[in-house]
Amino acid sequence: MSGVSLEGIVKAYGAVQVVHGVDLEVQEKEFVVLVGPSGCGKSTTLRMIAGLEEISGGELTIDGRVMNRVAPKDRDVAMVFQNYALYPHLNVAENIAFGLRIRKEPKDKIESQIKEVAGILGLTEYLERRPADLSGGQRQRVAMGRAIVRNPKVFLFDEPLSNLDAKLRTQMRAEIKRLHKRLGVTSIYVTHDQVEAMTLADRIVVMNDGRIEQIGSPMDLFLNPANTFVAAFLGAPPMNLVEATMTSDTVAEFNGQSISLPKLDALKNSTGRAVTLGIRPEFVEVADPSVKSQVKIDVDLIETLGSEALVHATLGEKPFVIRTETIGKLEVLDNVSGFTIDPKLVRVFDAETGVALPGQVHEQ
Amino acid sequence: MSSPSTSSKLERFGEHMRREWQLYVMLLPLVIWLFVFLYKPMYGLQIAFKDYSIFRGVSGSPWVGFEHFERLFTNDQFLRALKNTVVISFYSLVFGFPMPIILALMFNEVLNRMFKKTSQTIVYLPHFISSVIIAGIVITAFSPSAGIVNTVMGWFGLEPIYFLTKPEWFRPIFIGTGIWQESGFQSIVYLAAIAGVSPTLYESAVVDGASRWQMMWKITIPSILPTIIIMLIIRIGNILEVSFEMVILLYQPATYETADVVNSYIFRQGIQAGQYDFAAAAGLFNAVIAFALVMAANTISKRYSRTSLW
Repeated sequence: MSGVSLEGIVKAYGAVQVVHGVDLEVQEKEFVVLVGPSGCGKSTTLRMIAGLEEISGGELTIDGRVMNRVAPKDRDVAMVFQNYALYPHLNVAENIAFGLRIRKEPKDKIESQIKEVAGILGLTEYLERRPADLSGGQRQRVAMGRAIVRNPKVFLFDEPLSNLDAKLRTQMRAEIKRLHKRLGVTSIYVTHDQVEAMTLADRIVVMNDGRIEQIGSPMDLFLNPANTFVAAFLGAPPMNLVEATMTSDTVAEFNGQSISLPKLDALKNSTGRAVTLGIRPEFVEVADPSVKSQVKIDVDLIETLGSEALVHATLGEKPFVIRTETIGKLEVLDNVSGFTIDPKLVRVFDAETGVALPGQVHEQ
Repeated sequence: MSSPSTSSKLERFGEHMRREWQLYVMLLPLVIWLFVFLYKPMYGLQIAFKDYSIFRGVSGSPWVGFEHFERLFTNDQFLRALKNTVVISFYSLVFGFPMPIILALMFNEVLNRMFKKTSQTIVYLPHFISSVIIAGIVITAFSPSAGIVNTVMGWFGLEPIYFLTKPEWFRPIFIGTGIWQESGFQSIVYLAAIAGVSPTLYESAVVDGASRWQMMWKITIPSILPTIIIMLIIRIGNILEVSFEMVILLYQPATYETADVVNSYIFRQGIQAGQYDFAAAAGLFNAVIAFALVMAANTISKRYSRTSLW
């Protein structure tokens, strides 16, 4: 089993602790994405798995073997770096073969593996070129070739697409996904881009301030964020968060307006309790003035994206975004004055802790 | 008549001068310095082709064509000085050029910051000491009576040697002194080049299983190779520029055979013997060869490393 297990992993630089006891089980062949804002500890965690950073506390096992004190070369992992880490003085073939040559693999084996990897990544015609003569996408493919050719137990990706433009990033994302399907190697991928996380991951690990906020499948995290941080981090646009006060067990009030909420045990006898309501921009229906019992908003701007539109509005004095289809709704969009929402789709968080109240599970 | 493009260039230059006059004012002292100390003396170069007399002056002395150059190339002392210059430069290149690279690579491998900083300071220090003091240290160190070298040799029962009077010892001492004085300081260039190598190249190599030795050979050296090539070409361009003040300070008539270089020969002929025209011819020859070497070095550099001095 080429799984990776992190138990209470801690990283400290002197007295400053930057990763606070991370627990994570990555199954064999699984594609796990660590996502979070800059400085949340995701790259540090990945570098500890690679052996590039010393582990200050906790236990790391790869394939059932404790790796805390094992040298990077003996961990059987391969890493793809953000800036590709290609050797400028070596051509593509030599770059791909670097790890194999270091390990003194037989020449004919190296040759055949270069050919195979170049074939997989569409690099056959560029084998003689140097990195400076390649495009960003080609360089990234070479970097992946260097990782693949070693046939490791675990792939580690440290923001590999950050240096590419948006179009190329989308292409390479799909290529990484296809590659993972084809090779089936356990992969841990770090990114700050939630779209990359959502599209690539079997499971996403959301990190913040050196801690794991939530682990789950992309849709689970999208539908059932454990707290307001995850709610606001995942999704484009992110979930709208509205401060409200309960007026009964199923109704909350904000800015003189009321909204119905799902029936939850946690909200029994909750009148007067402060809550934060999470409303996904995609879950609301835009309403014109003719619709009764709508939540009123002040529309600032409507961005039409073709089949969809983004309605930028304010609710109270805070921004509120709605994502809606445009087909068949153009008339409503011309006159949009508010929205309606199925109470089951409103996510309720404790206003003080930001944690989602128990008993709310949206099925995918 | 100037072409339209030349006149527009001049106009642009004039406009730039008006707009950025402060920069030109700051440049002025250097231009004056260059003119007074480097360009104006060039006027005197013509004495290399004249029978120069102090009383008749530069312009009043009669032209003699290439007479001094003919004399130069039939003069055994000059030919010996030329040979010594090339030999000393060649050995300095062979033994002295790799030293700063080796030092930089070694400093790069030192992990203890305190040790690294201390050792760097120690090897940089000789560069900041005056050549006169360095020569004094060398003369003292190699003294047959109280020098440390002969003292150590004495411990092993060896007879003292008066190194600085032996022609066969001049070159090793001179080249060794040069390496000791300058290698540390010259290593800064290579340390800067090493600092420019992306750390992820090393991290990637670590994950691939490379040892520090392999990383040095397969990453560090290839990465700083363009800098090494440029420095080598500049060094070749300066091959006739042997540090003549150190030669003057260390040599003596007994060691002229291996120690006298073109510049020290010019110094003796021009300043000490008063043959200004003959010394000017030797100096001009030296300068022309150096200029040709610099030009050739720059062209080679431009072609092979895509880097050039101009």
